[in-house]
Amino acid sequence: MEFNAFFLNFLTGLQLGAIYALIALGLTLIFGTLGVVNFAHGALYMIAAYAAVLISRSMGFTYAIFIVPALLFLVGLLMERGLIRWFYDRPHTDQILVTFGLAIVIEEALKWIFGANNIPFALPSWGSGQVLFYGLGATVPEAIPGLRIPMPGIEGFTFFPFWRLLLIGVSAIVVLGLFVLLQFTRFGLVVRAGMRDPQMVSHLGINVTQKFAIVFGLAAAIAGVAGVFGGPVTQVSPTVGLAYLVPSFLVVVIGGMGSLLGALVAAVLLGMASAFTTGFAALAVDPFMKGFLTALQQIVVYLVAVVVLLVRPRGLFGKKGVFE
Amino acid sequence: MSDVAKPVYAGADERGGRAGMWNGRGRDLVVVAIIGMVTFTMPLWLVELGGYEALATKIVIWAIFALGFDLLLGFTGLLSFGHAAFFGTAAYITGLSLKHFSSDVIPAMAFAFVGTLLVALFIGFLTLRRTGIYFSILTLAFAEMIHALVLSSTLQRWTGGDNGLTGLHYPTLLGMNLRGIAVFYFCAVILVIMFLVAQFLKRSPFGLMLRSIKENPMRLEYTGINVWAYKMMAFLISAMYAGLAGSLMVIYEPYVATKFLHWSTSGEVVIATVIGGASTLIGPMIGAAFLMYFENVVQGMIGEQWRLILGLIFAAIVIFLPGGLIDIWRVVWRATGHKLLHGRRHNVPDMELTEPRHTDPRP
Repeated sequence: MEFNAFFLNFLTGLQLGAIYALIALGLTLIFGTLGVVNFAHGALYMIAAYAAVLISRSMGFTYAIFIVPALLFLVGLLMERGLIRWFYDRPHTDQILVTFGLAIVIEEALKWIFGANNIPFALPSWGSGQVLFYGLGATVPEAIPGLRIPMPGIEGFTFFPFWRLLLIGVSAIVVLGLFVLLQFTRFGLVVRAGMRDPQMVSHLGINVTQKFAIVFGLAAAIAGVAGVFGGPVTQVSPTVGLAYLVPSFLVVVIGGMGSLLGALVAAVLLGMASAFTTGFAALAVDPFMKGFLTALQQIVVYLVAVVVLLVRPRGLFGKKGVFE
Repeated sequence: MSDVAKPVYAGADERGGRAGMWNGRGRDLVVVAIIGMVTFTMPLWLVELGGYEALATKIVIWAIFALGFDLLLGFTGLLSFGHAAFFGTAAYITGLSLKHFSSDVIPAMAFAFVGTLLVALFIGFLTLRRTGIYFSILTLAFAEMIHALVLSSTLQRWTGGDNGLTGLHYPTLLGMNLRGIAVFYFCAVILVIMFLVAQFLKRSPFGLMLRSIKENPMRLEYTGINVWAYKMMAFLISAMYAGLAGSLMVIYEPYVATKFLHWSTSGEVVIATVIGGASTLIGPMIGAAFLMYFENVVQGMIGEQWRLILGLIFAAIVIFLPGGLIDIWRVVWRATGHKLLHGRRHNVPDMELTEPRHTDPRP
C-alpha cells in the first residue's frame, strides 16, 4: 500500500472512529454514571438524524446544528426522568429490556412515519466538495476547485470529501469539550465523584440524581451532534441505529466500561481496523486473498473485540474491580 | 400450592412440600398432559381463531426456541441478545445438508447439532468471560458477526448471500415425506420431549444450581462452586434448543431466510419469552404462541404497524407486568383479595440490584 492510499485509509478510519466515538461516549457516560446499558442509544442517533433532515429542509442546516443537540438533550432528559429512573432498583436485565423495547418502538415509529428506505440528507452548499491534499513539489492544475492542504509524503495529489473531514473535526471538538467539562468544572467534578461512589456523594448533600439526569441528557445531545454531522455519511434509515450501535457497544467493551479515554482509543482502533481491511481488500489481486479480505472486512471489528477479550477481558482501560 | 406459613425462597419454585397429588411429580404430569393435549389439538382449534394449520407448526417451533431461551434468561439470569446465531447456524447447516447431502432430516439435524454446539462453545467462551451486561452486549455483537460473515460476498456461493439458501430438497424422515401435517406432528412430539427435558432440568440439582446462580453468583463462587462451568452448561443447553428450533424451521419450510441469523430473530425470542413470562416453563411457550399469532394473524388486521404495536406491548409488559402474561392470574388473584401469593416472582433478579441503585453495587 503506497502512501496516498495509506493516507486516505487513515482518514477514512478516523472518520469511522469519529462516529463510533460520538455514540460510544454517550453510552459509556450513561453506563459510568447510571449503570444502565442504553440499547436505545442507536435510536437516539436516528431521532437526531431524522430531525436534522427535517430541520435542514425547512429552516436550513445551520439551524439543525443548534436545534438538534438541544432537542436531543430534552429527549434524553425526558427519557431518564420518565422511564429509566423507574428501573434503577430493578434488575440489570430489566433495564436492558426496557431500553431495548424503547429502541424497537422508536425504530418502528420512524419507519412508519418516514418509510423503511433511507431518505436523502442533502449537504449544505458550503459542506459539499472535496479537499485536495498535495505533496511537496506537486503541480496542481488551477482549474480544480476546493480547499487545498499541503501534505508531505503524498505523490501528486489526492482527494477526500470535505464533509468527512469536518466530521472528524467536530468529533474532536466534542471530545475536547466533554473532557474540559468533566475535568475542569464543578459539574464535572461532581459527576466524576458520582461515577466513583454515588452513595458517598449523595451523603455529602449533593443531588446526584439530578446531576445524573443531566448526564443522560448530555449523552443524548452528543448522539444529537453525531446525528447531524454523521447522518449525511451513514445515511438516514430506520436500520442505521442498530448498525452503528453494535460497533459502538464493542468500542465501549474494548475501551473498558465507563472509561472515556478508552472509548476514544477503541473507537479510533475499530475505525482504523475497518478502513484498512477495506483498503487492503480493494488492492488485493489474488482472488483467494481478495475473497478472504472481503470477508474479513465484514467481521474485523468483532475480531478485534475477540482479541481484546482474550488478552485483556477488562478492556484496554478498564480498571480492576470497576464494573466487572 | 403450599400453605402460606411455609417459607418460600425467592426464585425457588412455590412447589413446597412433597405431599399431595397436586405437588411434586403429580403436578408435573398433569402439566405435561395438558401441554401435550393443547399442542396436539392445536391445528383443530387454531383455525377457529383465524390462524391456519401451518401456523401451529411455527408456534410449536418457536415454543421450543423460547423454552430454551428461558432456561438461560429465566433460570440462570443471563440475557442473551444473540440467540439468532444458534437458530440461524442450525438452519443454514440443516439447509446445506438437505441440499447437498441427503433429504433425510436425521443427518441434517445431527450436523446442525454439532455445528450449533461449536458456535455456542465459541460464543460462550468469549461472552461468559464477562458477567451481566457485558454478556448481553457481546452476544449481540458476536451474533452480528456470524450474520455478517454468512452474508458476505465471499461465502455467497455456499450460503446464497442476501437471497437466503434456496433449492432445498423436501425433507424426509426415514423415507417418509415430511410435509404438511406430518411436519406438525414431528415438531409437536419434539416439543413435548423438550418440555419434559426442561422440566427435568428445572427439578434437578443442576436446575437448582442455575437458579442459585441467578440469585447470587458471588455467594456461590465463595462456596467453591465453579459458577462459570454451570453458566456455560446452561448456555450450551439453551443454544441446543435454539439450534433444534432452527433446524425444524427449515424442515417445516425448506428455505433458509437470512432473517434467521438477523438480530431481529434474537429480539423476537427475547420478546416472546418476556411477554409470556420468564422464569416459568409455560410462560415462554405462551409468549411464543402470542408472538407467532400476532405476527401472522394480527398483522393481517392492523397492517404494517404491527411491529410498533408489538414493541409497545413488550415495553408495557416490561414496565408494568415484569412476570409476563403468565403473571396475570396472580394480579387478578391479588385484586380479588386472595392471600395465596408469597412474594412476586421477580422477572430476572440478579445479585447487584436487590438494593436500590444508589447504594453502590460496585465493590
